[in-house]
Formats: sequence, structure tokens, C-alpha cells
Amino acid sequence: MSTLERVRRRGADLDLGRRGQAAVASGVAFAAFTALGLLFPGTIAGTLVDVIFSAGTLSSALRLSVPIVLAALGGIFAEKSGVINIGLEGLLIISAFGAIYATDLTGNLWVGFGAGVVASTLLAALFAVVCIEFRADQIIAGLAVWLIALGLAPFASQVIYGAPNTTSVRTPPSAADVVLGLPVVGDVLRVLVSAATGFGAAVVTVATGLRNATGGVPLAGLLVEAVVTVAGAVHYVVVVVLVGALVEANVVVYLTFLMVALSWYGLYRTQFGRWVRASGENPRALDTAGVDVSRVRYAAVLLSGVLSGMGGSALSLTLGQFTGNGPTMVNGKGFIAIVAYLFGNYNPVGAFLSTLLFAGLDALQIVLQLRDVGVPNQLIRVTPFVMVIVVLALVGRTRIPSAAGEHYESGEE
Amino acid sequence: MSVRERGRRALERLVAASAVERALISLASLVLAVAIGTVIILVAGRMTTCDAAAFVLTHPTSVGVPGLFRVGIPELFRMGFCHDPVTVFDRLFLGALADPLSPGWDPLDGQIAVTLRETTVLVFTGLSVALAFRAGIFNIGTQGQMVVGALATALVVLWVAPLVSGVVGAVLLVPFGLLVGAAFGGFYGAIPGALKAYADANEVITTIMLNFIATGVVLFLVSEVFKDPASQANQTVPLPDDALFPPVLFGGRFGFSVLALVFALAAVLALAYLLSRTSFGYDIRTSGVQPQAAEYGGVDARRTIVASMTLSGALGGLAGAVYVLMILGNFETGVPAYGFDGITVAILAGNNPLGVPFAALLFGVLKSGTTVVQFATDVPPQLVGVLRGLIILFVAMPEFFRMLGRRVVPPERGRPTEPGTAATDGGRFRGDDARSADGEQVRGGGGDAVDGPGRDPGGGRE
Repeated sequence: MSTLERVRRRGADLDLGRRGQAAVASGVAFAAFTALGLLFPGTIAGTLVDVIFSAGTLSSALRLSVPIVLAALGGIFAEKSGVINIGLEGLLIISAFGAIYATDLTGNLWVGFGAGVVASTLLAALFAVVCIEFRADQIIAGLAVWLIALGLAPFASQVIYGAPNTTSVRTPPSAADVVLGLPVVGDVLRVLVSAATGFGAAVVTVATGLRNATGGVPLAGLLVEAVVTVAGAVHYVVVVVLVGALVEANVVVYLTFLMVALSWYGLYRTQFGRWVRASGENPRALDTAGVDVSRVRYAAVLLSGVLSGMGGSALSLTLGQFTGNGPTMVNGKGFIAIVAYLFGNYNPVGAFLSTLLFAGLDALQIVLQLRDVGVPNQLIRVTPFVMVIVVLALVGRTRIPSAAGEHYESGEE
Repeated sequence: MSVRERGRRALERLVAASAVERALISLASLVLAVAIGTVIILVAGRMTTCDAAAFVLTHPTSVGVPGLFRVGIPELFRMGFCHDPVTVFDRLFLGALADPLSPGWDPLDGQIAVTLRETTVLVFTGLSVALAFRAGIFNIGTQGQMVVGALATALVVLWVAPLVSGVVGAVLLVPFGLLVGAAFGGFYGAIPGALKAYADANEVITTIMLNFIATGVVLFLVSEVFKDPASQANQTVPLPDDALFPPVLFGGRFGFSVLALVFALAAVLALAYLLSRTSFGYDIRTSGVQPQAAEYGGVDARRTIVASMTLSGALGGLAGAVYVLMILGNFETGVPAYGFDGITVAILAGNNPLGVPFAALLFGVLKSGTTVVQFATDVPPQLVGVLRGLIILFVAMPEFFRMLGRRVVPPERGRPTEPGTAATDGGRFRGDDARSADGEQVRGGGGDAVDGPGRDPGGGRE
């Protein structure tokens, strides 16, 4: 492959088109809103900006996006291979329950996590057989997967725990706890964190000194004030918000980062990824090239089960409990995952970013519910769903893989 | 393709997709779901602890001919279960019908009233989903449309009721309430329709999101604005009796009115007529099976999408109105999942309005039987939810049953059994199946509009 071609291909991977325009537009709107909030701190905009730029919001956005991103990655593989998996919600539900149950039985978080993944993969395997072997309508079969899990998980919980909600198990540690416990790396990290904090304190000291020194000088005072404000803001965003959120973050957040990277690499840089994409775009060509389309699709759907299973396990384990009332604790996250990867144009990184948008909104509404902003909580709670509809209406048609949703029959029988 | 050959293929498809096959597949799905449900009940029975086993799996301990000889067998295998699947399914199906096999069967029993009451609401939600399906739209939002219609009916009727009184009120208020429910449900259905038609937004996602939004907003309205101050629950004040469906035959306390059921069946016939005999119904069906051809034939695709979603939403809204005017007598949050059951009903009925009452009756039995099962056994009621999912799963894979059938009865004289001819979706995705089955030509251009290769893979999906 020539360099030129490689560059062009990379460009194609990153090309966002109308989606990009929508993203830029929302970015501009967000910046304007932030400025408004900073200028008028007393208003709702001020409160919102205050909430958005807190370490708590970012860390809960990261936490909330874990199940959605992982399910979306799974959905990307399945749909890219030509099987529309609308049952992601069901896979999340079944793995969320399975993880808690296995953790409760064995007392081991890793076993629980693995059990959730296995439960989800088994359900995905059922879906794969039904769609690929028995040529079922993928949408209806996906719906059935959701409904089965929606019934089965609370049923099992009722049988085992006597209620739709399970007992509580201990939760996985935060990344900081894990790393700080390590022999050498932990010490290094401790030094780094104290250095960052020390740097922040130094900035404040220098700023105060400068302010005092230049207080009387008209122009220089203003200049120093501006520099100090910018430095303070950068320090705040980098150290308090980013480092704060990342250090606080649970290990599953890092697992999610890893999976996003691996999925991107797997989809665009490996033989398997090429097969998956070909299987969804032009199965006949793949067949002619001597690759078994059905096997590629099985692998992709099973992979969607594994990834969604990680998402469901992470969801319930980080909260330490499975709640099975009504739409269960998953509560539409599987469907939001579908919107996320459509909005992200089937690109794992795009799906991750658009999930951060939805999860950020979700985190925002949770914080806002605690503060009194004059809008009733029941209405704040529906904002992420409204946002999904607005996004879909703006982005509009997404070009789905051309053979998605169709059964492929190999010529040689 | 010659006319003869085309006729032959049409006949083949007609046979393959016949109503008999549909009914058989639905029945087989039900049996299979019950079989798997049995396994689930047994497994659940092993995981629970109980004093005495309700069901014991073992083998006979003696063989022989009575009166002649008898050989004892030592007991090698014995396994007790806390739940008896036979009791569960007996209560689920026969209990819901007040034990029709026992001698003292009373067809006017309260449990039958409950079953028919559930059936009535399910007919409307089933019709709602089926209609959208026929237009090639997957309306998962019937639940939300029903909730919106229900609340609107309750509020508007409460507002209007003091203005009319007596006999006039009784005659006018119920139809008025139904109309209000249909109007609001229709409006809420038109939103995803317009989003699909004009912004290309996937209706599966938008309708699911609109369900969440409807639940949230209605919860806010009922708990904060229209709450009955005398009640702890999130509900409105009760509607006056004049405004409710009068109980006929059955006692009033079961929340069932024969009038509502008659109205539901009338809706079934009206929809069947609309789909098969009117030009609007024709537009809907052709857009469903082959949107390109429909558009080429002069159908305004966007308008048809919005119109069919509005009608579908109106049927969902009617379900809500009936739920309020017949069952509740006011509005209370936490509307049962009739909308989602409507999807199952529609799929089971093959999206044919005439099949909807039968499928609705089956699910009415399942819903009403759930309470009987809960009363008689310790099996968690969520079991019915699992059964619902399993039934959909099996109905979605007719090919599975065809493969089974072919294994048992080899195909005669090599009659080609084309893959995927009898669609689970009433022929939505398959080019010209439905057209052939109906024996009609797509209108426009002298009936030759789709003379070309009628088979357009995935024509209904884009």
C-alpha cells in the first residue's frame, strides 16, 4: 500500500461529513453556553457550567458510559458483519445479573465478571443461531432476546433472592487503589500526584505574589490578572478534573479505554476486521474469496456478546447489586448504545465520543437532581432520551452496511 | 419471466405463506415455548428450597400386567422439584378460563372477565403494531402512545364530565373519551412517523426513546400537577360513573365491559377492510412490501409513513382510553406493558388484523393466568415474560420449523421450498410475496408499474 493510499484511507476512517458538522455545531453552542455560564454565575447556565466542570461529573460520565460504550462496540461488530443486533439491551441485562450472581456465589469479582460475559455470550450465540442458521428476521429475534432477558433476569433473581433485586456484593476497586498498591509504580504515581498538587500550590503562590507586586500598575496588573486566570483554569481542568476523574475511575473504565482501542484496531487494521466489513458490505465477494460468510458473522455476533457482557458485568459490579424492577437497572442503555454507534458512524472511537456525550448528559441530570434548579426531577430524567431523538433527527440517515439485516445464502449448497 | 412462470411462482409462494402454515408455526412456537418454560420451572424448582417436593421425577418402580404378574424395580433415580410445571401451566391456561373442563364451568366467571378485559386492550395494541408493520414501520412505541392516550382521556373527560349530565352524558362521554385517546395517541405516533419520513430517523430507536419520555413526563404530570390530593398513589381523581364503559353481563368489579370487546372486534373488521379494500390501505401495504415500487406507482411515501404511524398511534391511544374507561376508572402511573405485548400479538398474528383477536386472546389468557398462577403456586410471575420472549423468538424463525418439517416429511416431488418465502413479518421484506398472495398488481401506469424484477432485496428496510 502506498503512503498516499494509506493517508487517504486514514482520511476515510476519520471522515465525518454531516455528523462532523453536527459535532462542530454542538461544540460551538457548548462553548457559547460555557461563556454565558462563566459570565453570569448566578443563572441556570452558571449552575450548569459549574456542574459540568466538576471532577464528579466527569468521573460519573465515564462510569455511566462504560456499559454503553462496550455494548456499542459489540453492536458495531455485529452490524458491520451484516447482523443487526437490536438485542444489546438483553445482553446487558443478562450479564448484569449473571455477574452479581456468580460474584455472590464465589466471592470472587473476576469470576463474577467472567460469568456475566459467559451469560451474555451464550444468549448472543442463541441469537446468532436463530438469525444465521434459521434465517430469522433479525429485528424480531433481537427484540425477543431483549424480552427473554427482561423476563429471565428478574425471574432468576426472584427465585434465588426472593425479590427482583439481588443482594449486594463488594465492588471492584478504583484504578488508583490498584496502582497505588503496586510496589514501584505506586510510589512513582504517589510522587507524580504530589508533584501535580505541589505545582498547583506553586501556581497559586506565584499568582498571589505577582498580583500583590503589580497591584498598583494599571496595564501590567491587568495582563498579570489575565495570565493568572488562564493558568488557573488550565491547572483546574488538567489537574482537578482530568487527573481527579482518572485517578478516581474504576478499573472497568480503563478496560473500556482498552476495548475501544482494540476494537478500532481489530476492525480497521486486521484481517478479521476486513472480513467483518466485507461480510456486511458485500458478502458475495467475501464468499468468492473463499471465506465462509456465516462463520465471520457467527464470530462477530459472539464478539458482540462478549463485549456487551463486559458492559453488563461492569454496570452491575460497580454498583454492587442487580436491580430488576421495571426496565431493570439497564434501563435503555442497550438502545442508547445503538444510537451511539449510529451517531459515531460505526467507528469505535466515534461511538466512544458520542457515548460520552449521552453519558455526560446523564451524569449532568443526576447531579442536577440533587441540586434544586427549579426543574422537576422527573423531567430532568428524560433529557438524555430527548437528546437521543434530537441527535437522530439532526444526523438523520446513517448509511448502514448494505447487506445488514439480510440473510446470506452461500451459492454452493 | 413469462406470465406462466410468474403465475407458478406466485402460487408456490401462496402455498408456502398460507394462513394454515402461519397458524401451525404460531402453535408450534407456543408448544416449544411451553416446553422450554417447563425446563425453566424445573430448574427454578431445584434452586428453591421447600418442605415437600411438588413434583417428583422418577421412573416406575414396578412393571407387569395387572392381575397376572408384577416385577419390582429398585428405585435408581429420584429427583424432587419445588414447582410442579403441570400445575403451573394448568393454572396459567385453564385457570385463566375458570376451568372450562370441569363440570361446574361458569362462562360468566370473574376470571373470564379478567381474561377478556386483558384481551380487549391487547386487541388494540396488537392492531396498532400490526398496522405499522404492514406499512413497513416497526412501531415499538405503542406503549408510549397508549400511556399518552390514557392520561389525555382521563384528564379531558374529567374536565368535560361536569358539563354534561345524566343519560346524555352516558351516551356521549364514552365515545368522546375514546376519541380523545385516539387523537392524543395519534399525535404521539405521528412524531416518530414525521421523524422517519422527513429526517430519516430510525423509528425503532425514536419510538423506544419516546416510550421513556412518555413515562417520565406522565409521571411528572400525575405526581405534581393532576394528582388526586386524597390519594397516596400517583393517580388522578376518579372519573364519574357516567363516563365509564357500563358493565354488561359480567359484574362491574372485574373491570370488563362486553361493549368494549365488541368495539375492539369492530375495530378489527374496520382495519381489515381498510387494509384490503381501500386505496389508502393499498398504499400502506405496497409501501410496506416494496417502497420503491409504491413510490413509482404514485404513492407519496412520506405522507403514507406519517399517516400510518398516526393511525397506529391512534389505535395505541384507543387502547389507553379503553384501559382508563373500562379497567381503571381514573389514570394511575405504572401502566402495564400492553404495548410490548402488542408487538408479540402482532407478530403472532402475522400482522393480519383478522389474526389479532386470536393472538390477543392467547396473551389475555397468559396475563390473566399469571395472577391465578401466583395465587396457586410460588413460581415468580416473571415467568410469563420469559414465555413471551420465547414465543417471539420461535415465531421469528419459521425456517426452523420448516427444516424440522422437511426432516420428518421429505418434500414431495422436489417442490421447491424457497427460503424465507413465508415471512414472519407478513411479507414485509420480501419483494412481491404479498402482492402475489393477494393476487393483485401494484397500481399505477396501467398496472404494469412493477413489471420489472419484483424482487428487491431488503426493499423494506432502507
